Amino acid sequence: MLGSRVRATKDSLTDNVTMSYFRITLTRSGIGMPKRTQGVLKALGLRHRMRTVFYPVTPEVAGQIMRVKELVEVQEVDKPLTRAELREERRPDPGFYLEKAAPR
Amino acid sequence: MFGAFRPTNSLSGGLLWKIPWRLSKFQKARQRKRLRAVDTVVATLDKALAKKSITTKAVERWKEEMPIEQEMVPKDKYTIFDRKEKKYRKSIRKLPKWTRVSQRVNPPGY
Repeated sequence: MLGSRVRATKDSLTDNVTMSYFRITLTRSGIGMPKRTQGVLKALGLRHRMRTVFYPVTPEVAGQIMRVKELVEVQEVDKPLTRAELREERRPDPGFYLEKAAPR
Repeated sequence: MFGAFRPTNSLSGGLLWKIPWRLSKFQKARQRKRLRAVDTVVATLDKALAKKSITTKAVERWKEEMPIEQEMVPKDKYTIFDRKEKKYRKSIRKLPKWTRVSQRVNPPGY
């Protein structure tokens, strides 16, 4: 288990060198949906909106995504990101750059 | 006719909710956007699984049964079948959780 939620089973790691992952983001809340749907979200680790998780491309995960397809956004990516990397992605452009650090 | 005690619908009947039957053009636009978002998710899954030459029952069944947004007729996008309604159709907003469920096909002929 890496920093972000990644579950790479042993056989899926060995049979394919170029592994790809689903990047799943919960965009719509599961509140008020059937228990089974909410359970799938919980199983995927999507507890809050805008939470992003990574899972290897397997039929099991695909089936889970199909259950919650109206609530999530999915991308196929080459490697999972950690929570710190995801946070870095969201950091806005500061609007300046340092030419040279001034001595203090 | 005028005044504080005029017999309006809400005063004589108590609770009165007026829900417009039709969706506005903005609501319809958002409905189409949601439909396309689901299509994108399914397409992404299908593409990712096809690369590994895996097929999943859920995805295959969806592709077989459900039309994509561009294939749907407007009638199916914004209204749903109801046997109790006049002309057998009611606005899709009457469907509980209609922004978060997939309701695309209706009985043929209605």
